[in-house]
Amino acid sequence: MLKANAPKCNIRGNVVVEENPYLPERARIVRKFDLTRDVRFFQVRICDPDKVMTWTTNYKPGQFMMVSLPNAGEAPFSITSTPSRPGLFEFCIRKVGRLTSKLFELKENDYIWLRGPFGNGFPVEMMYGKDLLFVAGGLGAAPLRSVLLYALDYRDRFGKIFYLYGARTPDDMLFREEFFRMKERDDFECYLTVDADPTGLWPFDIGVVTSLFKYVNVDADNTVAIVCGPPVMYKYVVDEFLKIGIPDDHIFMTLERKMKCGIGKCGQCVVEHKYTCVDGPVFTLWDVKNIRTLI
Amino acid sequence: MRVFKLKRENFIPFMKGLSKFGELWGPVRKGDRYVYANEPPEKFVLNAIRTIVPAKKFFLPQKSTILKFKNNEWREHYDVKKRVIFGLHPCDIHALNIYHKFYTRLYPDPYYLKNRENTLIVGLSCLPDENCFCHLTDTETVNEGFDLFLTDLGDKFLVWVGSPKGDESLKLVKDLIEDTTQKDIDEYVEWRKKRRSMFKVSLDLEGMPEILTFNYDSPIWEQMGTACLSCGTCTMVCPSCTCFDVDDEFDIRTDEMNRQRYWYSCVFREYSMVAGGHNFREARSERLKLWYTHKLVGFMSEYGSPACVGCGRCVVSCPVDINVITVAKALLKEKPDAFWARMASSNVEVQHA
Amino acid sequence: MGKPKIGIYGLTGCAGDQLNIINCEDELLKLFDIFEIKSFVMASSAKDEEIELDVAFVEGSVSTEKDLEHLQEIRKKSKILVAIGHCAVYGGVQSMFMGNEEWMERYKRVYGKESAVTLTPPLEPKPLAAYVKVDAVLPGCPIEKEPFLKLAGKLAHGVVPRVPDYPVCAECKWKENECLLLKGEICLGPLTNSGCGAICPSMNIGCIGCWGPIAKENMKSEAMLLMEKGFDMDEVAKRFAIFGGVERAEALKSLVSSSTKESGK
Repeated sequence: MLKANAPKCNIRGNVVVEENPYLPERARIVRKFDLTRDVRFFQVRICDPDKVMTWTTNYKPGQFMMVSLPNAGEAPFSITSTPSRPGLFEFCIRKVGRLTSKLFELKENDYIWLRGPFGNGFPVEMMYGKDLLFVAGGLGAAPLRSVLLYALDYRDRFGKIFYLYGARTPDDMLFREEFFRMKERDDFECYLTVDADPTGLWPFDIGVVTSLFKYVNVDADNTVAIVCGPPVMYKYVVDEFLKIGIPDDHIFMTLERKMKCGIGKCGQCVVEHKYTCVDGPVFTLWDVKNIRTLI
Repeated sequence: MRVFKLKRENFIPFMKGLSKFGELWGPVRKGDRYVYANEPPEKFVLNAIRTIVPAKKFFLPQKSTILKFKNNEWREHYDVKKRVIFGLHPCDIHALNIYHKFYTRLYPDPYYLKNRENTLIVGLSCLPDENCFCHLTDTETVNEGFDLFLTDLGDKFLVWVGSPKGDESLKLVKDLIEDTTQKDIDEYVEWRKKRRSMFKVSLDLEGMPEILTFNYDSPIWEQMGTACLSCGTCTMVCPSCTCFDVDDEFDIRTDEMNRQRYWYSCVFREYSMVAGGHNFREARSERLKLWYTHKLVGFMSEYGSPACVGCGRCVVSCPVDINVITVAKALLKEKPDAFWARMASSNVEVQHA
Repeated sequence: MGKPKIGIYGLTGCAGDQLNIINCEDELLKLFDIFEIKSFVMASSAKDEEIELDVAFVEGSVSTEKDLEHLQEIRKKSKILVAIGHCAVYGGVQSMFMGNEEWMERYKRVYGKESAVTLTPPLEPKPLAAYVKVDAVLPGCPIEKEPFLKLAGKLAHGVVPRVPDYPVCAECKWKENECLLLKGEICLGPLTNSGCGAICPSMNIGCIGCWGPIAKENMKSEAMLLMEKGFDMDEVAKRFAIFGGVERAEALKSLVSSSTKESGK
């Protein structure tokens, strides 16, 4: 598992803190629009011009940031943008609680506060030269979009790329138009499905996301599989990965937990001895087998 | 390690001398128990056993403001005092060492470090009572993590110097300490033998990591979950429990927003509950299991030793007797004398008039 | 954002919660500064009942038809409705026999004939949430100044505060108190919402539960523990019932009947 850097020490061997990891950085909402009924897309820019580029290039797909509003609280959100397109951070935020309700009241140019990026992220270097198989369900497309865009931006570093995405209905699909356009690309394969189509206008597959595996054609030993979606989905998708023959430690998933600090201190994301915020949120299937109650 | 001798009659002047470093805190009586309080050294109880709340309160206070917000800007907020903390037993210092490892790893915690830098830790030897089990957790003696450590040999103390800061502080009391003699060393060896013979608890704690792993699905978790009040006392009094929660409070008096962090507990209902209401540990038994596996197995994998230091605070604090000893006993198939076990076997006399 | 418009109302209760808001003497001006108070019968004659409110604070239980009408009006015109005080949040002491068939009997015993009180038809006392959506609560009998100011601080930014998920015991340990349960006293700390700062246990008085039952409380364990310590079920059940409100009343019935069964063994 990937770890954040070891702490810096002074000449006496005492740990020194250069930056207070609890201190949020101010950012400005540049753009926002609704992706679905309850999910909104936020593009934000760090206010301090000296930090914009360092912050938006020095992170890994799959990492998250602690987003906060004074008085409303702080919560982790995966970064849905990619460090290969720096300048802005992007988030998909679903309206579920106190903080997100307040975030939904914000307009362009309003401030939000960020800490991070935190978490291990996807080991993108390890994925070079490999076939990639993405499986996203519902809101799971948010963190996967980051690594997908990263792979497409560095297309020559990877083998075949498959992207399977299932949503409940066409209206629940994040970045629907973006993926429609991606389907037209010939350098990777993008398959979309919905569980049900009340509109009757859905032009692609209908059925659960695992039904898309019939299109997949990868070199199993040389494939990295990544899944993110609602908890119930993992088991079925992982079974499909295993059927193809992808090794345990090449199967990655990114998990959700309650987090208050993001830096492995508050304990609320702990699973056995792993702190999801620093040891995760990206785990392999081996971790899942080894660490009970991870999924 | 440098060791000096301090005559008992010089103890009060010694503490007063050290108090030039900062506020003097030590164990004083509260009801039938003890607490660390900022009192004159005359009030310190030298044979105090386990304070109600451990010394972690000095480094991660029960509730503290870490950031302040005004004019669209968050600023750090420190409330640090120079302190001398006297009376930490070896188990307490071991627990602080766990705290130190935990709070300085990966992203070091600046609040912890500031508090630690400004604290002079003066340990004190102790004699165990019937609930102490530091001899089972390998924490009955301590070699690091203190600045000074006093071993109480009756008419004198041995003063061990554990850090450059401790060495420096001795300059404040240099007229009160003297070199040790062979007699002092002999007495110390005798004292150790006596101390060792006083422990009452006998249990295979070393085997806990494996035993807990094998008993992951044991019915005893369900039994404990039925009795657990989810009051959080175990975690508040545990010297190695580190969890906290964070909330913003807007002070209408000052128009300032305070980001506060306060002690939190894995046995609380919303500990693993995410926004939207999904709870990863809905059952009390699941939350208890997390506490014990994290403390006794998880820490092992991360730091090479379990996070229990045998202080016995959980033993004397849990109203329904869920503690390291009864849990270990139950897992080892010894029938523990505990309310939760009695409740499970329904032997509780229920009288209804 | 303009100042949030608020109203403070009382249904059936002792009005102690409203009184404690007035008792925030030093902060009252500040409160008026932050909020635009549109209705506060106890403190001000200025009444503007037509206007839409951002926040309505309501104390007291719904105990009459008139209470209910009043509550429904308040709900209609308020964005955020906050129940303050035990009566509004849990039903108050008056609801401790909730669900008991003999309610009308008790009513007659107190007020004489059914028709003795004719102003408005009585209802069995219930908390606000039994009738309308409640967005936030501040328990306590009565509410305390500090928790109220904290709540006001949240609402000033339009944030809906939540009740902590931990019991009085947490705050009691923060204050480094000895556990009264362990000393053989009845203390409802483990069953009671925190926020009061563990005032009573800090004075060596067992918690009486005035902040109301915490969600998913383990009443059975505490009851059995107290019985093991020598208290009898009736006494324990009475203590539990006082501030148990509607939520606990039902659970208490099954607890008492199951313990009666066990004692029969």
